[in-house]
Amino acid sequence: MTKIISLFILEAVFCFTFFTVSYSDINLIQTNCKKTPFYDLCVLTLKSDPRSSTADVPGLARIVADSVNAKAIATLNQISALLKSVKDPTLEKALEGCIVSYNTIIQADIPVAIDAIEKNNPKFAVQSATDAGNEAQACENSFAEKASNSPIFSGNKAVHDLSVVLQSIASLLL
Amino acid sequence: MADINPLLPVSSSDGSSNLTGQATCRRPIKVVVSIFFGLLTVGLFAALLIRNNGPVDYVDVHENERGSLASTAFEKAENLKPVSRGPAAGVSEKSNWAFGGDLPDYPWNNSMLSWQRTAFHFQPEKNWMNDPNGPLFYKGWYHFFYQYNPNAPVWGDIVWGHAVSKDLIHWLHLPLAMVADQWYDKNGVWTGSATILHDGKIVMLYTGSTTEGVQVQNLAYPADQYDPLLVHWVKYPRNPVLVPPPGIGPNDFRDPTTAWLTSEGKWRITIGSKINKTGIALVYDTKDFINYEMLDGLLHAVPGTGMWECVDFFPVSETENNGLETSINGHGIKHVVKASLDDDRHDYYAIGTYNDRNGTWIPDRPNIDVGIGLRYDYGIYYAAKTFYDQNKKRRVLWGWIGESDSEAADVKKGWASVQSIPRTILFDKKTGTHLLQWPVEEIDSLRLKGKEFNQVRIQAGSVVPLDIDSATQLDIIAEFKIDSDALDKATGSSDASFDCVTSGGAAERGALGPFGLLVLADERLSEQTPVYFYMTKGSDGNLKTFFCNDQSRSSKASDVDKHIYGSLVPVLRGENLSIRILVDHSIIESFGQGGRTVITSRVYPTKAIHGAAKVFLFNNATELNVTASLKTWQMNSAFIQPYPNL
Repeated sequence: MTKIISLFILEAVFCFTFFTVSYSDINLIQTNCKKTPFYDLCVLTLKSDPRSSTADVPGLARIVADSVNAKAIATLNQISALLKSVKDPTLEKALEGCIVSYNTIIQADIPVAIDAIEKNNPKFAVQSATDAGNEAQACENSFAEKASNSPIFSGNKAVHDLSVVLQSIASLLL
Repeated sequence: MADINPLLPVSSSDGSSNLTGQATCRRPIKVVVSIFFGLLTVGLFAALLIRNNGPVDYVDVHENERGSLASTAFEKAENLKPVSRGPAAGVSEKSNWAFGGDLPDYPWNNSMLSWQRTAFHFQPEKNWMNDPNGPLFYKGWYHFFYQYNPNAPVWGDIVWGHAVSKDLIHWLHLPLAMVADQWYDKNGVWTGSATILHDGKIVMLYTGSTTEGVQVQNLAYPADQYDPLLVHWVKYPRNPVLVPPPGIGPNDFRDPTTAWLTSEGKWRITIGSKINKTGIALVYDTKDFINYEMLDGLLHAVPGTGMWECVDFFPVSETENNGLETSINGHGIKHVVKASLDDDRHDYYAIGTYNDRNGTWIPDRPNIDVGIGLRYDYGIYYAAKTFYDQNKKRRVLWGWIGESDSEAADVKKGWASVQSIPRTILFDKKTGTHLLQWPVEEIDSLRLKGKEFNQVRIQAGSVVPLDIDSATQLDIIAEFKIDSDALDKATGSSDASFDCVTSGGAAERGALGPFGLLVLADERLSEQTPVYFYMTKGSDGNLKTFFCNDQSRSSKASDVDKHIYGSLVPVLRGENLSIRILVDHSIIESFGQGGRTVITSRVYPTKAIHGAAKVFLFNNATELNVTASLKTWQMNSAFIQPYPNL
């Protein structure tokens, strides 16, 4: 009898866990990431943040915003490092312009996006996310050799693509 | 997280009484326990199934071609590809930029940026502004309130700014009218409207975002009704007066309108909202602006339009050339419902009939219903609001004009957004389908030196410079005559798919267009903003006229919006084509056919600024010669400044 009861309790625990997991935000993550143009990036970004397991859609947007911010800071550091040793004046000018772009992303776009999500006025989050992507794109555009990628291409691409993801998810809140 | 309890027929607290109660008998317990867990498993699978078919009440980005970064990035870009001008059915002011070219990026020096500031459009001295709020006329002054961020040139920390004017043009800044100092507006003192009561007193209803982020409606009134400047405002001590009703989301309840009287003598307001993706307008009646009864029905609803922000509702006369006080109803009167669509950042209106008894409204033409038909303005224009100006018996429209440059530039220049010049609104008797908007007549007082050009012939494929001095603060009224022979001779095409937005702009030559004006253009035309007509002829011989504004070559800078705006404009038999343009540095307001179709755009040239800006007539059609007659005036500054010695 005890064996049967413990078997059933085990089954119940298993079912509840399965139940919990199936209702968790893995489903929410997938559903929402499907509505962005960068599904894999979206899922990876969200899954690697522990907050996503209990987040609602505004919470997911917040996670992506934080990720844009982190990538932007990393890219800004990269730009600063490059500026220290740059010799070519054209390259220097481009890098300085990128500093402006990234400062805008970090000091204006992301704080406004987060604020707008928190205050439930998502259209300003959509607008700011769009601008963040545009700033990253403008930075990439500013390098003279358009045929090849800039020295900070991967940073620009990451920030751009994540901004698009943020824009898409924030649009879902409209 | 889902509530699994409803799926379980037996709750643990009641469980014991439903069991056979004989704890010592093992078999019944076994049976019951196995039934319990069996049902649990069944319930689990049922829940899984329900979850997988779950509600899809999220906006599907794929369905909405919003011309945003998202739509172009669908091409899986390995590199950062050039961004094309998308189909953009609804383009927000921050949208894709065209890929560079020979452009100097970051060309913004202080000369270019400081030039962008307008001379006669309302804007605060610095920082961010958005929606117009509570416009009214009181004791000799026009009042204007607005969503304002006192701390930064980006959205946030929203409070109510305030300014006054004697003539809707010369504004004087006053202290902030309301700040976020109560729990019920701590997260935002958002948009609202004023109502003037029978005794002349003013009540203001506005949306507050509470500390919990819930949208509620609050009442405020002037601290001193004898102060014509209405500097100080008091919030009703027992706010909020309205909270989201059952079935309405806490974030879908904002922007109360001016109230109007019902035939029962109650005040009635409407508040925009949504249910799933259907935009709706809720209706409330009140006697004291403190207690409200919500009507069972909605004023109106349109599926697929999403959240209705800044709803406006007002009467227009079908016969008279004056505005109507908001409570007027009766014969020869139509009512306009207007909504700002959160989904695409555009303002839409529809004309129809109001039923006072049940508080409903139906459009004259359901195919151009609210949100799917006509727009106030086909450029950058949002959150518009009208008020009845009892001083001059007109209905006046305000609209928020955001920036379409980068936020980096906004931060550098220290400000963002302007308001349109206030416009009168009238029912267009000639078409019966449109409203006419026109800058208030007081703007004429800014006109300085004028110049007239008569019967200027512009041959197909030519550009004619206009010899006027400065071209950054202008009022232009132009009329274009076309040879009717050329129109008759033109071959009709079955390809009736022209649209300003998807066209090649002013560089795309057609038989019967484009032709019009180039403003904010430098001598070499390296930068130019065409405002023009483009006519098409269908295979049935019917002519269609489009009114467009092309930003694609408006600036050498790569970080500004380069879209083309515009729409069909009705042109009646015997009418000449007419355009009025107000150029005020980085804003252009264009009115086609007396204001039947209006386009506002923000332009940020790097070369065509200061003395280098010029105006041209142009005709890029292949089979049409055009004759233009126009008047241009230099416009004075409005010297908008703080109220002196307050």
